[in-house]
Amino acid sequence: MFFKRKPMWGKKKKLKSSYDVVIIGGGLHSLATAYFLAKDHGITDVAVLEKNYIGFGGAGRNTAIVRANQRTQYNVPLYKEALDLWPILTKDLDYNLMFNNCGNLNLMHSEAAMTAARMTIATAQFHGVESHLIDAKQAKEMVPALNISEDITFPIHGAMFHPPGGVVRHDAVVWGLARGAAKRGVEIHQETEALGIGIQNGKVTSVTTSRGTINCKQVLISAGGYSASLIHGMLGIKLPISVLTIQAMVTQPVKPLLNHVVSSGAYHAYANQTLKGEIATGAHMDPWPNYTTLTTAHYIKHQAEALSEFLPCLRGLRFMRIWGGLADMTPDMAPIMDGNNQIEGFFMDCGWGYFGFKSCSAVGKYMSEFMAKNECPDILKPFALKRYEEHRLMGETAVVVNYTPDN
Amino acid sequence: MALIITCPVCGKRNGYEFKFGGEEKGPRPDETDLTPKAWCDYVHMNHCVAGVQKEWWCHKDGCGSWFTIYRDTTTNLERQVQKADHQEAEK
Repeated sequence: MFFKRKPMWGKKKKLKSSYDVVIIGGGLHSLATAYFLAKDHGITDVAVLEKNYIGFGGAGRNTAIVRANQRTQYNVPLYKEALDLWPILTKDLDYNLMFNNCGNLNLMHSEAAMTAARMTIATAQFHGVESHLIDAKQAKEMVPALNISEDITFPIHGAMFHPPGGVVRHDAVVWGLARGAAKRGVEIHQETEALGIGIQNGKVTSVTTSRGTINCKQVLISAGGYSASLIHGMLGIKLPISVLTIQAMVTQPVKPLLNHVVSSGAYHAYANQTLKGEIATGAHMDPWPNYTTLTTAHYIKHQAEALSEFLPCLRGLRFMRIWGGLADMTPDMAPIMDGNNQIEGFFMDCGWGYFGFKSCSAVGKYMSEFMAKNECPDILKPFALKRYEEHRLMGETAVVVNYTPDN
Repeated sequence: MALIITCPVCGKRNGYEFKFGGEEKGPRPDETDLTPKAWCDYVHMNHCVAGVQKEWWCHKDGCGSWFTIYRDTTTNLERQVQKADHQEAEK
Protein backbone atom coordinates (compact mmCIF):
# COMPACT_ATOMS: atom_id res chain seq x y z
CA MET A 1 0.00 0.00 0.00
CA PHE A 2 2.50 2.62 1.15
CA PHE A 3 5.57 0.77 0.01
CA LYS A 4 6.41 -0.55 -3.38
CA ARG A 5 6.09 -4.30 -3.62
CA LYS A 6 8.89 -6.00 -5.39
CA PRO A 7 8.64 -9.51 -6.71
CA MET A 8 10.44 -12.16 -4.70
CA TRP A 9 12.11 -13.43 -7.83
CA GLY A 10 13.89 -10.19 -8.73
CA LYS A 11 13.07 -7.16 -10.80
CA LYS A 12 12.42 -7.33 -14.52
CA LYS A 13 15.76 -7.76 -16.22
CA LYS A 14 17.02 -7.21 -19.72
CA LEU A 15 17.23 -10.41 -21.72
CA LYS A 16 20.90 -11.29 -22.28
CA SER A 17 22.11 -12.41 -25.70
CA SER A 18 23.22 -15.78 -24.41
CA TYR A 19 22.59 -18.26 -21.60
CA ASP A 20 23.89 -21.74 -20.91
CA VAL A 21 20.39 -23.09 -20.49
CA VAL A 22 17.02 -21.76 -21.64
CA ILE A 23 13.86 -23.23 -20.16
CA ILE A 24 10.60 -22.63 -22.02
CA GLY A 25 7.60 -22.41 -19.71
CA GLY A 26 7.38 -20.81 -16.29
CA GLY A 27 5.52 -23.51 -14.44
CA LEU A 28 6.57 -25.76 -11.61
CA HIS A 29 8.57 -28.27 -13.63
CA SER A 30 10.57 -25.43 -15.20
CA LEU A 31 11.11 -23.58 -11.94
CA ALA A 32 12.05 -26.76 -10.09
CA THR A 33 14.52 -27.73 -12.82
CA ALA A 34 16.04 -24.23 -12.78
CA TYR A 35 16.26 -24.29 -8.99
CA PHE A 36 18.01 -27.68 -8.88
CA LEU A 37 20.30 -26.75 -11.81
CA ALA A 38 21.54 -23.83 -9.74
CA LYS A 39 21.52 -25.50 -6.34
CA ASP A 40 22.85 -28.99 -7.09
CA HIS A 41 24.90 -28.47 -10.24
CA GLY A 42 26.16 -24.89 -10.05
CA ILE A 43 24.57 -24.01 -13.41
CA THR A 44 23.23 -20.52 -12.76
CA ASP A 45 23.31 -19.00 -16.25
CA VAL A 46 19.73 -20.05 -16.81
CA ALA A 47 16.76 -18.18 -18.29
CA VAL A 48 13.20 -19.28 -17.61
CA LEU A 49 10.87 -17.91 -20.29
CA GLU A 50 7.20 -17.52 -19.46
CA LYS A 51 4.65 -16.19 -21.94
CA ASN A 52 2.29 -14.92 -19.21
CA TYR A 53 3.35 -14.87 -15.58
CA ILE A 54 4.78 -17.70 -13.53
CA GLY A 55 2.10 -19.95 -12.15
CA PHE A 56 -0.42 -18.86 -14.80
CA GLY A 57 -0.96 -22.36 -16.18
CA GLY A 58 -1.29 -25.72 -14.49
CA ALA A 59 0.90 -24.60 -11.58
CA GLY A 60 -1.85 -22.36 -10.28
CA ARG A 61 -4.86 -24.33 -11.53
CA ASN A 62 -4.29 -27.80 -10.10
CA THR A 63 -6.10 -28.83 -6.93
CA ALA A 64 -2.86 -29.16 -4.97
CA ILE A 65 -3.16 -32.88 -4.24
CA VAL A 66 0.02 -34.89 -3.82
CA ARG A 67 0.30 -38.67 -3.62
CA ALA A 68 2.48 -41.63 -4.55
CA ASN A 69 -0.12 -44.34 -5.13
CA GLN A 70 0.47 -44.90 -8.83
CA ARG A 71 0.39 -48.29 -10.47
CA THR A 72 3.80 -49.11 -11.99
CA GLN A 73 7.28 -49.68 -10.64
CA TYR A 74 8.59 -46.80 -12.75
CA ASN A 75 6.21 -44.16 -11.50
CA VAL A 76 5.93 -45.01 -7.82
CA PRO A 77 9.59 -44.28 -6.87
CA LEU A 78 9.48 -40.95 -8.71
CA TYR A 79 6.32 -39.79 -6.96
CA LYS A 80 7.58 -41.15 -3.64
CA GLU A 81 10.66 -39.00 -3.93
CA ALA A 82 8.50 -36.01 -4.83
CA LEU A 83 6.46 -36.63 -1.70
CA ASP A 84 9.57 -36.97 0.45
CA LEU A 85 10.93 -33.71 -0.96
CA TRP A 86 8.13 -31.41 0.29
CA PRO A 87 9.41 -31.12 3.89
CA ILE A 88 12.99 -30.81 2.62
CA LEU A 89 12.06 -28.10 0.13
CA THR A 90 10.10 -26.23 2.79
CA LYS A 91 13.33 -26.02 4.79
CA ASP A 92 15.74 -25.40 1.91
CA LEU A 93 13.57 -22.74 0.29
CA ASP A 94 12.82 -21.20 3.69
CA TYR A 95 9.25 -20.94 2.50
CA ASN A 96 6.18 -22.51 4.04
CA LEU A 97 4.77 -24.82 1.36
CA MET A 98 1.94 -25.78 3.74
CA PHE A 99 2.37 -29.51 3.16
CA ASN A 100 -0.52 -31.22 4.91
CA ASN A 101 -0.11 -34.98 4.70
CA CYS A 102 -3.69 -35.71 5.57
CA GLY A 103 -3.78 -38.91 3.52
CA ASN A 104 -5.65 -39.96 0.40
CA LEU A 105 -8.69 -42.19 0.38
CA ASN A 106 -9.46 -43.74 -3.01
CA LEU A 107 -12.95 -45.17 -2.94
CA MET A 108 -13.57 -48.48 -4.69
CA HIS A 109 -17.03 -49.29 -5.97
CA SER A 110 -16.80 -52.88 -7.15
CA GLU A 111 -14.98 -56.11 -6.35
CA ALA A 112 -12.99 -55.66 -9.57
CA ALA A 113 -11.85 -52.26 -8.35
CA MET A 114 -10.88 -53.79 -4.99
CA THR A 115 -8.73 -56.34 -6.85
CA ALA A 116 -7.06 -53.58 -8.85
CA ALA A 117 -6.46 -51.69 -5.61
CA ARG A 118 -4.82 -54.76 -4.07
CA MET A 119 -2.28 -54.79 -6.89
CA THR A 120 -1.60 -51.07 -6.63
CA ILE A 121 -1.15 -51.43 -2.88
CA ALA A 122 1.25 -54.34 -3.33
CA THR A 123 3.33 -52.19 -5.69
CA ALA A 124 3.31 -49.30 -3.23
CA GLN A 125 4.31 -51.49 -0.29
CA PHE A 126 7.07 -53.11 -2.34
CA HIS A 127 8.50 -49.64 -2.96
CA GLY A 128 8.19 -48.63 0.69
CA VAL A 129 5.15 -46.42 0.22
CA GLU A 130 2.49 -46.74 2.89
CA SER A 131 -0.85 -47.82 1.41
CA HIS A 132 -3.59 -50.09 2.77
CA LEU A 133 -6.83 -51.64 1.68
CA ILE A 134 -9.72 -50.88 3.99
CA ASP A 135 -13.36 -51.91 3.87
CA ALA A 136 -16.38 -49.62 3.68
CA LYS A 137 -16.91 -49.63 7.45
CA GLN A 138 -13.33 -48.56 8.16
CA ALA A 139 -13.66 -45.85 5.51
CA LYS A 140 -16.80 -44.60 7.23
CA GLU A 141 -14.94 -44.49 10.58
CA MET A 142 -12.22 -42.44 8.95
CA VAL A 143 -14.56 -40.12 7.05
CA PRO A 144 -17.90 -40.03 8.87
CA ALA A 145 -19.42 -37.88 6.10
CA LEU A 146 -19.14 -40.79 3.67
CA ASN A 147 -22.30 -42.51 2.48
CA ILE A 148 -21.71 -46.26 2.61
CA SER A 149 -25.32 -47.26 2.06
CA GLU A 150 -26.21 -49.63 -0.77
CA ASP A 151 -28.80 -47.44 -2.42
CA ILE A 152 -26.52 -45.05 -4.29
CA THR A 153 -25.45 -45.34 -7.92
CA PHE A 154 -22.03 -46.74 -7.03
CA PRO A 155 -22.06 -48.26 -3.52
CA ILE A 156 -18.72 -48.12 -1.73
CA HIS A 157 -17.04 -51.52 -1.35
CA GLY A 158 -13.88 -50.27 0.28
CA ALA A 159 -11.01 -47.91 -0.23
CA MET A 160 -7.32 -47.60 -0.81
CA PHE A 161 -5.89 -45.56 2.05
CA HIS A 162 -2.60 -43.82 1.34
CA PRO A 163 -1.58 -41.91 4.50
CA PRO A 164 1.56 -40.05 3.28
CA GLY A 165 -0.31 -38.18 0.53
CA GLY A 166 -2.14 -34.95 1.04
CA VAL A 167 -2.16 -31.35 -0.06
CA VAL A 168 0.55 -28.77 -0.75
CA ARG A 169 -0.18 -25.08 -1.32
CA HIS A 170 0.60 -24.81 -5.04
CA ASP A 171 1.15 -21.03 -5.20
CA ALA A 172 3.65 -21.28 -2.37
CA VAL A 173 5.61 -23.84 -4.37
CA VAL A 174 5.67 -21.51 -7.39
CA TRP A 175 6.82 -18.52 -5.33
CA GLY A 176 9.23 -20.50 -3.18
CA LEU A 177 10.95 -22.19 -6.11
CA ALA A 178 11.07 -18.93 -8.11
CA ARG A 179 12.64 -17.10 -5.20
CA GLY A 180 15.06 -19.95 -4.51
CA ALA A 181 16.13 -20.09 -8.15
CA ALA A 182 16.41 -16.30 -8.55
CA LYS A 183 18.52 -16.05 -5.39
CA ARG A 184 21.03 -18.39 -7.01
CA GLY A 185 21.25 -16.39 -10.22
CA VAL A 186 18.51 -17.87 -12.42
CA GLU A 187 16.69 -15.21 -14.46
CA ILE A 188 12.92 -15.50 -14.71
CA HIS A 189 11.55 -13.62 -17.69
CA GLN A 190 7.80 -13.20 -17.61
CA GLU A 191 5.76 -11.93 -20.55
CA THR A 192 8.42 -13.41 -22.81
CA GLU A 193 7.19 -15.79 -25.46
CA ALA A 194 9.48 -18.36 -27.05
CA LEU A 195 8.87 -18.37 -30.79
CA GLY A 196 11.38 -20.83 -32.19
CA ILE A 197 14.48 -22.91 -31.59
CA GLY A 198 17.54 -22.51 -33.79
CA ILE A 199 19.40 -25.67 -34.78
CA GLN A 200 22.71 -26.07 -36.56
CA ASN A 201 24.32 -29.41 -37.47
CA GLY A 202 21.83 -31.26 -35.28
CA LYS A 203 22.59 -29.13 -32.23
CA VAL A 204 20.55 -26.51 -30.42
CA THR A 205 22.13 -23.08 -30.89
CA SER A 206 19.52 -20.48 -30.03
CA VAL A 207 16.01 -19.64 -28.96
CA THR A 208 14.01 -16.89 -30.67
CA THR A 209 11.75 -14.98 -28.31
CA SER A 210 9.36 -12.07 -28.49
CA ARG A 211 12.18 -10.00 -26.94
CA GLY A 212 15.01 -11.06 -29.23
CA THR A 213 17.18 -14.07 -29.93
CA ILE A 214 19.18 -15.84 -27.24
CA ASN A 215 22.12 -18.13 -27.92
CA CYS A 216 22.21 -21.25 -25.81
CA LYS A 217 23.56 -24.77 -25.71
CA GLN A 218 20.64 -26.45 -24.05
CA VAL A 219 16.93 -25.87 -24.13
CA LEU A 220 14.20 -27.55 -22.11
CA ILE A 221 10.56 -27.37 -23.09
CA SER A 222 8.38 -28.01 -20.07
CA ALA A 223 5.42 -25.81 -20.82
CA GLY A 224 2.65 -27.99 -19.45
CA GLY A 225 -0.34 -28.29 -21.77
CA TYR A 226 1.38 -26.24 -24.46
CA SER A 227 4.49 -28.45 -24.63
CA ALA A 228 3.25 -30.76 -27.39
CA SER A 229 2.08 -27.90 -29.59
CA LEU A 230 5.39 -26.03 -29.07
CA ILE A 231 7.56 -29.09 -29.66
CA HIS A 232 5.74 -29.95 -32.86
CA GLY A 233 5.55 -26.35 -34.03
CA MET A 234 9.21 -25.53 -33.36
CA LEU A 235 10.94 -28.82 -34.08
CA GLY A 236 8.46 -30.96 -36.00
CA ILE A 237 8.58 -33.68 -33.35
CA LYS A 238 5.19 -35.33 -33.01
CA LEU A 239 4.13 -36.55 -29.58
CA PRO A 240 1.50 -39.06 -28.46
CA ILE A 241 -0.35 -36.35 -26.57
CA SER A 242 -3.93 -35.10 -26.49
CA VAL A 243 -4.52 -31.79 -24.75
CA LEU A 244 -7.80 -31.50 -22.88
CA THR A 245 -9.40 -28.93 -20.61
CA ILE A 246 -9.90 -30.20 -17.08
CA GLN A 247 -12.16 -28.41 -14.63
CA ALA A 248 -12.20 -27.92 -10.89
CA MET A 249 -14.30 -25.93 -8.47
CA VAL A 250 -14.69 -24.91 -4.84
CA THR A 251 -17.79 -24.60 -2.69
CA GLN A 252 -18.53 -21.96 -0.12
CA PRO A 253 -16.52 -22.45 3.10
CA VAL A 254 -17.98 -24.71 5.80
CA LYS A 255 -16.88 -26.02 9.19
CA PRO A 256 -14.26 -28.80 9.12
CA LEU A 257 -15.83 -32.06 7.98
CA LEU A 258 -13.33 -33.65 5.61
CA ASN A 259 -9.91 -34.49 6.91
CA HIS A 260 -8.69 -36.48 3.91
CA VAL A 261 -8.48 -36.22 0.16
CA VAL A 262 -11.36 -38.44 -0.93
CA SER A 263 -11.51 -39.59 -4.53
CA SER A 264 -13.66 -41.92 -6.56
CA GLY A 265 -12.96 -43.34 -9.96
CA ALA A 266 -16.52 -44.47 -10.60
CA TYR A 267 -17.99 -41.07 -9.74
CA HIS A 268 -15.16 -39.28 -11.53
CA ALA A 269 -14.74 -36.94 -8.59
CA TYR A 270 -12.38 -36.06 -5.80
CA ALA A 271 -12.86 -33.70 -2.91
CA ASN A 272 -10.85 -32.26 -0.09
CA GLN A 273 -11.44 -29.44 2.32
CA THR A 274 -9.02 -26.56 2.05
CA LEU A 275 -7.66 -24.77 5.11
CA LYS A 276 -10.18 -22.01 4.38
CA GLY A 277 -13.01 -24.51 4.70
CA GLU A 278 -13.98 -24.70 1.04
CA ILE A 279 -14.53 -28.10 -0.52
CA ALA A 280 -12.16 -28.21 -3.50
CA THR A 281 -13.39 -30.72 -6.00
CA GLY A 282 -12.98 -31.71 -9.59
CA ALA A 283 -11.61 -34.41 -11.85
CA HIS A 284 -13.52 -33.99 -15.03
CA MET A 285 -11.94 -33.65 -18.43
CA ASP A 286 -13.62 -32.58 -21.61
CA PRO A 287 -14.15 -35.53 -23.96
CA TRP A 288 -12.39 -33.79 -26.87
CA PRO A 289 -9.02 -32.03 -27.16
CA ASN A 290 -9.08 -28.27 -26.79
CA TYR A 291 -7.05 -25.41 -25.36
CA THR A 292 -9.97 -23.27 -24.22
CA THR A 293 -9.82 -23.79 -20.41
CA LEU A 294 -13.52 -22.89 -20.51
CA THR A 295 -15.84 -24.15 -17.79
CA THR A 296 -19.31 -25.59 -18.22
CA ALA A 297 -22.58 -25.99 -16.39
CA HIS A 298 -22.40 -29.63 -17.51
CA TYR A 299 -19.64 -30.40 -15.00
CA ILE A 300 -21.04 -28.31 -12.16
CA LYS A 301 -24.12 -30.52 -12.46
CA HIS A 302 -22.03 -33.67 -12.66
CA GLN A 303 -20.01 -32.66 -9.61
CA ALA A 304 -23.10 -31.77 -7.60
CA GLU A 305 -24.67 -35.14 -8.46
CA ALA A 306 -21.55 -37.11 -7.56
CA LEU A 307 -20.81 -35.29 -4.30
CA SER A 308 -24.39 -35.41 -3.07
CA GLU A 309 -24.33 -39.18 -3.47
CA PHE A 310 -21.12 -40.17 -1.72
CA LEU A 311 -20.84 -37.13 0.57
CA PRO A 312 -24.55 -36.37 1.08
CA CYS A 313 -23.94 -33.75 3.78
CA LEU A 314 -22.68 -31.45 1.03
CA ARG A 315 -26.16 -31.25 -0.52
CA GLY A 316 -27.31 -27.66 -0.85
CA LEU A 317 -23.80 -26.24 -0.63
CA ARG A 318 -23.06 -23.60 -3.24
CA PHE A 319 -20.15 -23.57 -5.61
CA MET A 320 -18.23 -20.31 -5.39
CA ARG A 321 -15.70 -20.62 -8.17
CA ILE A 322 -15.00 -22.90 -11.10
CA TRP A 323 -12.00 -22.84 -13.37
CA GLY A 324 -10.27 -24.88 -16.05
CA GLY A 325 -6.72 -25.83 -16.92
CA LEU A 326 -4.99 -27.99 -19.48
CA ALA A 327 -4.05 -31.65 -19.15
CA ASP A 328 -1.70 -33.12 -21.77
CA MET A 329 -2.64 -36.77 -21.73
CA THR A 330 -0.55 -39.63 -23.10
CA PRO A 331 -2.03 -43.02 -24.07
CA ASP A 332 -0.32 -44.82 -21.18
CA MET A 333 -0.99 -42.08 -18.59
CA ALA A 334 2.74 -41.71 -17.99
CA PRO A 335 4.87 -38.67 -18.84
CA ILE A 336 7.54 -38.20 -21.48
CA MET A 337 10.96 -37.07 -20.30
CA ASP A 338 13.67 -37.19 -22.89
CA GLY A 339 16.75 -35.32 -23.98
CA ASN A 340 19.64 -35.31 -26.48
CA ASN A 341 17.78 -38.04 -28.35
CA GLN A 342 16.11 -36.18 -31.18
CA ILE A 343 18.39 -33.13 -31.26
CA GLU A 344 21.55 -32.55 -29.24
CA GLY A 345 20.87 -30.08 -26.47
CA PHE A 346 17.09 -30.40 -26.68
CA PHE A 347 15.22 -31.71 -23.63
CA MET A 348 11.53 -32.21 -23.05
CA ASP A 349 9.42 -32.82 -20.00
CA CYS A 350 5.75 -33.17 -20.92
CA GLY A 351 2.75 -35.46 -21.09
CA TRP A 352 2.10 -35.02 -17.39
CA GLY A 353 -1.66 -34.96 -17.84
CA TYR A 354 -3.21 -34.05 -14.53
CA PHE A 355 -0.33 -35.24 -12.32
CA GLY A 356 2.33 -32.64 -13.08
CA PHE A 357 1.98 -30.96 -9.72
CA LYS A 358 2.58 -34.09 -7.64
CA SER A 359 5.82 -34.82 -9.42
CA CYS A 360 7.41 -31.40 -9.94
CA SER A 361 9.91 -31.52 -7.08
CA ALA A 362 11.43 -34.89 -8.02
CA VAL A 363 11.33 -34.18 -11.74
CA GLY A 364 13.17 -30.88 -11.23
CA LYS A 365 15.86 -32.75 -9.35
CA TYR A 366 16.36 -35.42 -11.99
CA MET A 367 15.83 -33.31 -15.13
CA SER A 368 18.51 -30.92 -13.83
CA GLU A 369 20.85 -33.86 -13.32
CA PHE A 370 20.04 -35.04 -16.86
CA MET A 371 20.84 -31.60 -18.29
CA ALA A 372 23.95 -30.97 -16.18
CA LYS A 373 25.58 -34.33 -16.89
CA ASN A 374 24.11 -34.91 -20.35
CA GLU A 375 23.34 -38.41 -19.16
CA CYS A 376 19.88 -39.68 -18.38
CA PRO A 377 19.50 -40.71 -14.70
CA ASP A 378 18.27 -44.31 -14.35
CA ILE A 379 15.00 -43.24 -12.77
CA LEU A 380 14.03 -41.24 -15.89
CA LYS A 381 15.15 -43.78 -18.50
CA PRO A 382 11.81 -45.61 -18.81
CA PHE A 383 10.06 -42.34 -19.70
CA ALA A 384 11.80 -41.79 -23.05
CA LEU A 385 9.67 -41.07 -26.10
CA LYS A 386 11.01 -44.18 -27.82
CA ARG A 387 8.84 -46.44 -25.69
CA TYR A 388 5.83 -45.83 -27.96
CA GLU A 389 7.69 -46.93 -31.06
CA GLU A 390 8.97 -49.99 -29.24
CA HIS A 391 5.47 -50.84 -28.01
CA ARG A 392 6.64 -50.68 -24.42
CA LEU A 393 3.83 -48.54 -23.12
CA MET A 394 3.70 -48.18 -19.37
CA GLY A 395 1.00 -50.02 -17.47
CA GLU A 396 -0.11 -46.98 -15.53
CA THR A 397 -3.57 -47.58 -16.94
CA ALA A 398 -4.91 -51.06 -17.65
CA VAL A 399 -6.28 -50.06 -21.04
CA VAL A 400 -4.56 -47.72 -23.47
CA VAL A 401 -6.32 -44.37 -23.38
CA ASN A 402 -6.75 -43.21 -26.90
CA TYR A 403 -8.77 -40.29 -28.14
CA THR A 404 -9.36 -42.01 -31.47
CA PRO A 405 -12.19 -44.02 -33.02
CA ASP A 406 -10.95 -47.13 -31.21
CA ASN A 407 -12.71 -46.38 -27.96
CA MET B 1 -17.44 -26.31 -22.56
CA ALA B 2 -19.96 -25.85 -25.22
CA LEU B 3 -19.46 -27.14 -28.70
CA ILE B 4 -21.79 -27.27 -31.66
CA ILE B 5 -20.93 -29.67 -34.45
CA THR B 6 -22.45 -29.82 -37.90
CA CYS B 7 -23.33 -33.40 -38.77
CA PRO B 8 -23.60 -33.90 -42.53
CA VAL B 9 -26.89 -35.75 -42.00
CA CYS B 10 -28.52 -34.13 -38.94
CA GLY B 11 -27.13 -30.58 -39.16
CA LYS B 12 -26.00 -28.50 -36.19
CA ARG B 13 -26.23 -30.46 -32.95
CA ASN B 14 -24.89 -30.27 -29.37
CA GLY B 15 -21.29 -31.50 -29.16
CA TYR B 16 -22.07 -33.97 -26.36
CA GLU B 17 -24.02 -36.08 -28.89
CA PHE B 18 -20.77 -36.76 -30.70
CA LYS B 19 -17.68 -38.84 -30.10
CA PHE B 20 -14.31 -37.33 -30.94
CA GLY B 21 -12.44 -39.59 -33.34
CA GLY B 22 -8.94 -38.17 -33.38
CA GLU B 23 -6.95 -35.94 -35.65
CA GLU B 24 -7.09 -36.64 -39.37
CA LYS B 25 -3.91 -38.59 -40.09
CA GLY B 26 -4.50 -39.74 -43.64
CA PRO B 27 -5.08 -43.33 -44.73
CA ARG B 28 -3.99 -46.31 -42.64
CA PRO B 29 -0.39 -47.13 -43.64
CA ASP B 30 0.18 -50.04 -45.99
CA GLU B 31 1.16 -53.26 -44.23
CA THR B 32 3.95 -54.12 -46.61
CA ASP B 33 7.24 -52.62 -45.39
CA LEU B 34 5.47 -51.16 -42.38
CA THR B 35 8.02 -49.99 -39.79
CA PRO B 36 7.31 -49.70 -36.05
CA LYS B 37 7.94 -45.97 -36.39
CA ALA B 38 5.39 -45.51 -39.18
CA TRP B 39 2.81 -47.56 -37.28
CA CYS B 40 3.48 -45.66 -34.04
CA ASP B 41 3.11 -42.40 -35.96
CA TYR B 42 -0.29 -43.47 -37.22
CA VAL B 43 -1.55 -44.93 -33.97
CA HIS B 44 -0.22 -42.60 -31.28
CA MET B 45 1.29 -39.41 -32.61
CA ASN B 46 -0.62 -36.13 -32.78
CA HIS B 47 0.04 -32.62 -34.01
CA CYS B 48 -1.70 -31.05 -31.00
CA VAL B 49 -2.42 -27.88 -32.97
CA ALA B 50 -3.40 -24.87 -30.87
CA GLY B 51 -5.50 -23.53 -33.75
CA VAL B 52 -7.49 -24.96 -36.63
CA GLN B 53 -7.22 -28.71 -37.19
CA LYS B 54 -9.00 -31.29 -39.30
CA GLU B 55 -10.49 -34.03 -37.17
CA TRP B 56 -12.90 -36.97 -37.13
CA TRP B 57 -16.21 -37.10 -35.30
CA CYS B 58 -18.93 -39.72 -34.96
CA HIS B 59 -22.55 -38.76 -34.32
CA LYS B 60 -22.88 -41.54 -31.74
CA ASP B 61 -26.19 -40.40 -30.19
CA GLY B 62 -27.64 -39.58 -33.60
CA CYS B 63 -27.33 -41.00 -37.07
CA GLY B 64 -23.98 -42.71 -36.34
CA SER B 65 -22.13 -41.27 -39.30
CA TRP B 66 -18.40 -40.59 -39.35
CA PHE B 67 -17.18 -37.32 -40.86
CA THR B 68 -14.45 -34.70 -40.60
CA ILE B 69 -14.72 -31.07 -39.61
CA TYR B 70 -12.28 -28.21 -39.11
CA ARG B 71 -12.29 -26.83 -35.57
CA ASP B 72 -10.27 -24.17 -33.81
CA THR B 73 -8.98 -25.92 -30.68
CA THR B 74 -8.45 -22.60 -28.90
CA THR B 75 -12.09 -21.48 -29.23
CA ASN B 76 -13.99 -24.73 -29.91
CA LEU B 77 -15.65 -23.14 -32.94
CA GLU B 78 -16.12 -24.96 -36.19
CA ARG B 79 -14.43 -23.35 -39.16
CA GLN B 80 -15.49 -23.28 -42.75
CA VAL B 81 -12.28 -23.84 -44.65
CA GLN B 82 -11.92 -22.33 -48.14
CA LYS B 83 -10.88 -24.54 -51.03
CA ALA B 84 -7.30 -23.23 -51.18
CA ASP B 85 -6.87 -23.60 -47.40
CA HIS B 86 -8.51 -26.97 -47.69
CA GLN B 87 -5.71 -28.25 -49.89
CA GLU B 88 -3.15 -26.61 -47.63
CA ALA B 89 -4.62 -28.28 -44.54
CA GLU B 90 -4.73 -31.64 -46.31
CA LYS B 91 -0.97 -31.69 -46.61
